[in-house]
Amino acid sequence: MEQEIEIMTEIKSETTQVVTPAVRGPVAMQLTNVAVAFHGRVAVRDCTFDVAKNRVTSLIGPSGSGKTTLLRALNRLHDLTPGAKVTGSISLEGTDIYRGNLTVTELRTRVGMVFQRPNPFPTMSIYDNVVSGLRFNGIKKKSLLDESAEASLRSAALWDSVSSRLKVAASNLSGGEQQRLCIARALALDPEVLLMDEPTSALDPIATLHIEELMKTLKERVTVVIVTHNMQQAARISDDCAFLLMGEDRAGELIEFDTTEKIFNNPDDSRTLDYTLGRFG
Amino acid sequence: MSELIELEEKPLEPDHGMREEIRSISDSVRARRVARSRIMVALCGVALFIAAVPLVALLYQLFDKGLSQIHWKFFTTLPMTPTLVSPNATGGISNAIVGTIALTIYASILAIPVGVLVGVYLAETDSKLATSLRVVSQTMAGAPSILMGLFAFSFLVHDLNIGFTAIAGSFALAVLMLPVIIISTEIAVRNVPNSLREAGLALGAKPHKVSLKVVLPSSITGIVTGCILAISRAVGETAPVLLVIGGGFTNSWQPFDPVSAMPLAIFENAKSEWPSQRAQVWGIALVLVIFVFILSLTARIWASRKQQVRN
Repeated sequence: MEQEIEIMTEIKSETTQVVTPAVRGPVAMQLTNVAVAFHGRVAVRDCTFDVAKNRVTSLIGPSGSGKTTLLRALNRLHDLTPGAKVTGSISLEGTDIYRGNLTVTELRTRVGMVFQRPNPFPTMSIYDNVVSGLRFNGIKKKSLLDESAEASLRSAALWDSVSSRLKVAASNLSGGEQQRLCIARALALDPEVLLMDEPTSALDPIATLHIEELMKTLKERVTVVIVTHNMQQAARISDDCAFLLMGEDRAGELIEFDTTEKIFNNPDDSRTLDYTLGRFG
Repeated sequence: MSELIELEEKPLEPDHGMREEIRSISDSVRARRVARSRIMVALCGVALFIAAVPLVALLYQLFDKGLSQIHWKFFTTLPMTPTLVSPNATGGISNAIVGTIALTIYASILAIPVGVLVGVYLAETDSKLATSLRVVSQTMAGAPSILMGLFAFSFLVHDLNIGFTAIAGSFALAVLMLPVIIISTEIAVRNVPNSLREAGLALGAKPHKVSLKVVLPSSITGIVTGCILAISRAVGETAPVLLVIGGGFTNSWQPFDPVSAMPLAIFENAKSEWPSQRAQVWGIALVLVIFVFILSLTARIWASRKQQVRN
């Protein structure tokens, strides 16, 4: 009986320790009622949450819940998709990214992206890949490019293995190395936010581990938003977690947003619990 | 429940008689299929033979009659008109070789930059202009080549009064090459995976920069192959140059000189009253065929080697 009470108090003390949004610190990106529709068909909606600075926010949910669609709205990658429409408001450091005075190219240099499959430019060398973002944005000074290339490759934990072969084609690297190269390429622009769309789904477990380790150090300098299918991954690496689910009309919607600890331990919504416990999805 | 019992009552041993029966049926079916397959293979072989006969006959005649015409002076000297005193003095075809190369170079300079840019534009945009440009280039690809010659004649030679010149012929050839280059470029550019475009855009690159710095280099193999094929088509075309290049009798590389070309030399010599000049036609034709063959071989080797590098 005494033991039971002890356990009860332990759980209670844990729940009271849940970090409240105020403790999460300053906001990097703010999403208010965000919805994305393709040709009038809603793919994801009702997304309202804050992405906190220097934390890892994960978007989890089963296939079709609109995680990737939501992520791609954060750097306006839907702009070139015919029929795509983003409603609601998304702001970066207080500036609305769709209606504010922020050009789409500037936005994308401040909000970088790493894709599901490693996609280094196949015709470019490792070095050219890393500095490609800087070159696209008009930076030509060799010393600056060299400096940025080394710093970015170091940040992506790739410098030691590629420093001697920077001029080699990027396609010669292994899958995991290619993905780290893509991270380095995004970091070279010194973004404030890094979007990652299932960055380890095409990689083997060891390469996955490398990327996860990397993310823990990355959040010191960049805010990370990551889409993941892998719940253990979300639990391991993220600080905050948004759970999305496909509604009855096949449109994804935000079910719950909170700290990862709360989402995985005692979420408010029973569906969140069912998903994190693996009862569906 | 009754079903369950029935299942249990069924013999666990397989029914050998039934299996034999199935096997005998499948044997006869297999035999029929094998026979049918052999007949089809035989029919394909016959079709291949029929298709190969004219090709082999053509190549045989080409080499049989052409090889004897070819000697060193054939490449290095200008043509001569035979006389009654020396009925076999036909000279060489150096002017036609120089003319063909010059025409091809000028036509390439005119057609390749425009064609490649239009092809990239068609592949990268979805505007109404792109759709109509695509229709135009596809229609032009099927247009009779004499039309290009007529156009160059009436527009350049007559209206603009630039005379019978290499550049007029190059223009006609360039118009002929354009659709080939545009279509092959568009296909090559469309084959570039979208993930690379997105990677470029996500780095804050403007769309035109993505096209030029990411998409174009990634599709260069297909584009170069298409250009070489367009060139090898232009090299052998007679009709577009027939009306406009003037049939020059000098080894001139100048764009505003009249020049000759191998197809034109074949056309002119074939009409000659001198048997020696008529015989020379086969020599020119052989040189032309080898020329085109080398070009398309280059395109193939280039394409396959680049493919290996990519893999």
